[in-house]
Amino acid sequence: MEEQNTLGVGGRLVAVAIAIIIMLAVFYGLDHMIMGMQGLPLNPDLSPAG
Amino acid sequence: MMKQTRFSYIRGMMRPVLMFMTVLLFTGMATLVLAETGAGSAQARIAPVGEVRLQGQPPVEIAPAAAKAAEEKAELEAAPQPRRADYPNVGMSSRAIVWVLAQMHLFFGALVLAVPLFVLMIELVGVYTGDERYDDMAHEFMKISLTGFSITAIFGGSLALALFMLYPDFMGYMMHVFGAQVLVYASMFFFESFFLYVYYYGWNAFRYGNLKWVHLTLGLLLNASGLTIMVLANSWATFMMAPSGVNEVGAVVGNIWEIMKGPLWNPINLHRFIANIGFGGAVVGAYAAFKFLSTTDPEKRAHYDWMGYTSNFIAILAFLPLPFAGYYLMAEIYSYSQQMGITAMGGILAWLFIVQAVLIGTILLAGNFYLWSGMSRTEGSERYKGLIKVIAFVLVVSFLIWVTPHTLILSASEISLLGGSHHHILGPLGIMPAKNIAVNLMLIATFLSFQLYRRSDKVATVRWAPLGNALLIGVYVAAVVNIIFLGVYYGYFTNTVYKVGSSVAQVSTTLVVIVAGLVIDTLMFRNAKRLPSHWGRIPDRAQYALFALPIAFTWLMALMGYVRSSVKTHWHVYTVMKDNSPDNFIPTIGYAGNMITLVTVLFLLCVLFMFWVANLSGSRQAKPEATAGGEA
Repeated sequence: MEEQNTLGVGGRLVAVAIAIIIMLAVFYGLDHMIMGMQGLPLNPDLSPAG
Repeated sequence: MMKQTRFSYIRGMMRPVLMFMTVLLFTGMATLVLAETGAGSAQARIAPVGEVRLQGQPPVEIAPAAAKAAEEKAELEAAPQPRRADYPNVGMSSRAIVWVLAQMHLFFGALVLAVPLFVLMIELVGVYTGDERYDDMAHEFMKISLTGFSITAIFGGSLALALFMLYPDFMGYMMHVFGAQVLVYASMFFFESFFLYVYYYGWNAFRYGNLKWVHLTLGLLLNASGLTIMVLANSWATFMMAPSGVNEVGAVVGNIWEIMKGPLWNPINLHRFIANIGFGGAVVGAYAAFKFLSTTDPEKRAHYDWMGYTSNFIAILAFLPLPFAGYYLMAEIYSYSQQMGITAMGGILAWLFIVQAVLIGTILLAGNFYLWSGMSRTEGSERYKGLIKVIAFVLVVSFLIWVTPHTLILSASEISLLGGSHHHILGPLGIMPAKNIAVNLMLIATFLSFQLYRRSDKVATVRWAPLGNALLIGVYVAAVVNIIFLGVYYGYFTNTVYKVGSSVAQVSTTLVVIVAGLVIDTLMFRNAKRLPSHWGRIPDRAQYALFALPIAFTWLMALMGYVRSSVKTHWHVYTVMKDNSPDNFIPTIGYAGNMITLVTVLFLLCVLFMFWVANLSGSRQAKPEATAGGEA
């Protein structure tokens, strides 16, 4: 019933950590884009630039 | 052979008839738009008839200048300003009468507009999968709602009579403003009735092959006429809230399109369209639950279990984007009139948003509970049961944050004990940033329940499944971090403009989770190994969640409908036509609560009647046995 696990426990943890970092970067870009579209620019540290 | 020939003949006949009907429908709509706008207007077409031109002479005016001026004046007639004595007194509150009739009409209208929408989708799924069970279920959904069409018309007719009798000046003004548009609205009922009856009664006659596509086309036309009815009626409600196409005294200065397309028209259209689908799904889900509980036949229980699951799926799926449509509507209300927005969310009506939170929390908890219970249909769900506790924790904590009020009704001694009017810890949870975080987390948690449910009878066979799961965990964790960051940082530590703007980024984050979840699962579970699912194997108590959904949905619709209508305060048409009737004030919350409860109970009684009638059509009385005397 279990899915085939081609990664070990350590490998899984590394994969999850990398995925979280990638997705945090994606949401960082999304925040800049959405706020910028509303005329609310952000600094690189996400503080208001307006 | 003969049968086939007859079908071919019918098919041959139906195509041109349907094409003709479609062309007729759309030509009618196009003519209406052309007739009321710009160059093709009736005025422009009639004008040359009134002019006589002699060769070499300037045009001669037939109508005297005075008559023309009077005509223009009549056209630019201001909205009437009735006095108290102009409102008929029937011995009880006119507003209460109209309130009940309008709300009942809207409930049933929402139901009968929504059911054909998802019925068409289910029918289409049946065509593509070749599974006739979808077709039968779609047909049964239509059977349940059929009585609803008559009830909608009855309440609609009663509402129109009540409005014309109790608010004659107001209705006269509305007729003056909307003119022939109301006749288009009426004509749409003919189209809707025609398509409805052919669609429902022709279900088995047009079941296979090309005739099935004829049937689907009929369903599409039924929905087109239903949605046209909805958007036309919405334009009246939004004109009353945010009039357009009229000047400051209510005189008509624009064409019908300018009158209809006010600033709130599309937000209301979108909000009602989504909400109606969720509402319709919830009501038919209650029917499935009722049938499930009232039978012991395993085959029927399996059927109604599946029907209940589908209804819940529709209701919750439609419900997920609804808060965003609600935000859109409120944002447009604020843009149109900040005063109106503050009346809704900062004044007396603000407390109703706390009640709204309770009802939405009930819907989400009931929907999630049903999904968790439904996971017992398959052994594969064991893998995910641990996560249910986490989801339940997130839902309950978010729910509690959402229902925390900002201001409390306190006595002087309570204020001194508290050290102010706001609690020092719970106070910050009462404002929008905290609630935005809570709503988005609840929606993400609900989507996770859905995802786990859908995964519970499958085992992924693709090699990259562990990486896919890791990516999905990354999406959820990063989204939760982002939503909390956006809410806390911009909500409490920056200015209001950034606070409001960050809520859009929060919503976008939630949508990314939903889209990413659907895409990853679709790719990952392609050619997946299927585990056996046992429809009917669900605890009876799960069915009560399906009863809770329509009750909470109905109450919610009545509550928020009241808020939407009340933001006009003492105006029939905001800033243009004052309401001088004895009921020209926002009633107390208690009174409004009683009225909302009354219409909710009335609607549920009518729904029970609808279920009973639907059940009756499938029953047949046994022939009485002859007695000894030969009498039955």
